[in-house]
Amino acid sequence: MDALLAGLAILVIGDSHMVTRDYLITTLHNDLIEQGAKVDTYGMCGANAGDWVYPTTVSCGRGERHDKGPPVVNYNTGIPTWTLDGLIAKHHPNLIVIEMGDTMAGYGQGIFPQGWIYQQVHALTGRIAAQNIPCVWVGPPWGSEGSTYHKTFNRVKEMSEFLATAVAPCKFIDSTQFSKPGDWPTIDGQHLTSTGYRAWGQDITNSLDQIVPQLVHRP
Amino acid sequence: MLLLLAIGTARAADGRLYPSGPPNGVAYLRFVNLAPNEVMIVSPAAKITIPANDADRVREFDPVTPGTALTGSVQLGDATKPLNLTLQPNEFVTVAVTGSGDKFAVTLLRETPTDFNALKSSLALFNLDQGCASAQLVAGDQHVAVVSDVAPGAVTRRLVNPVDVALAVSCGDPAQTVPVKLGGLVAGDRYSVFVVDSGSGRQVVAKRDEQAPFRP
Repeated sequence: MDALLAGLAILVIGDSHMVTRDYLITTLHNDLIEQGAKVDTYGMCGANAGDWVYPTTVSCGRGERHDKGPPVVNYNTGIPTWTLDGLIAKHHPNLIVIEMGDTMAGYGQGIFPQGWIYQQVHALTGRIAAQNIPCVWVGPPWGSEGSTYHKTFNRVKEMSEFLATAVAPCKFIDSTQFSKPGDWPTIDGQHLTSTGYRAWGQDITNSLDQIVPQLVHRP
Repeated sequence: MLLLLAIGTARAADGRLYPSGPPNGVAYLRFVNLAPNEVMIVSPAAKITIPANDADRVREFDPVTPGTALTGSVQLGDATKPLNLTLQPNEFVTVAVTGSGDKFAVTLLRETPTDFNALKSSLALFNLDQGCASAQLVAGDQHVAVVSDVAPGAVTRRLVNPVDVALAVSCGDPAQTVPVKLGGLVAGDRYSVFVVDSGSGRQVVAKRDEQAPFRP
């Protein structure tokens, strides 16, 4: 077991990539637990960054998982969103990991909505900065082209490059660096197969191993 | 704290002037009162009053639907001017109200920014002073130009390092600058500096840009 993440209280939040049992709510969560971290994971399907700041309702379900407990997923719509402020107050994390990008990239739309994305991202990172908690933002994987999600490799690249400049003071993990376009098959254009989620979770954890020692100052 | 609460309550009580746009392709519209008296903005759905004090002159950018004609009026005292504008996707439009009486004017300043960056600060200079042919935003004792050559009715924006530096607006004569009261710049934040002829001299209003969240 690598000790780099041992003892950390990690709060992980994300979008639909966290809201099904075999997704990151299992793979990434397990990898972080195996490194000795205390982990609380929350996912809200379809959520934009601002949905973690301004209370609203979830559009396609939400899931949560705590330490070694099982994922608890509720696919009902219209249930309240979690707010990041509330989760910080509940769990007192010393590292926050945010996985988000696909819900904000404007897939299928001709114009990349920079101003709106920035407002969403800045609102969320501003809440974290106000509490001086180290944070890491994980961008979207390549996915597949030609689906009903209208995800394209070009837009994923554009989104990843934009997030790299927009998420400070959070550090950015560019998930497109983990594979070549098309390497990780999807079930619907956006969500990966179980194998893909295992690889993505492991790659995120490996990246955190590199980043976190510079980010979290232990007593 | 009580003051902040009061301001928040007052803003929440404001009606929405126009339906907010869809999240993607959304455009942003804000109103700025650079006149010496309060201004009323009237849309088919609501009306708001913008005070003439520096703390409240600059409204936040509100999301609106691009490609849709937004109509209404601007009222200053007994005078009224029509409002009719259409925003493009991703556009940020500032509607600035200046002057009084016969010199009352409404100016549209359009930006389609691509400089969003959480590591830098974005500084914009809006020139609403017809007597200032080429406005400059300058920094420090040496008056180093940060933003240059902004014509009346125009805006220019630039990314800068987030530092604590004295800023001022110049209209050509480096000996006659007007200080900008902004405080230290914060990384990731965006700022607007307005220069206007107040009728009794050149005036500068500066504020951090605020973007309202999308509200269906």
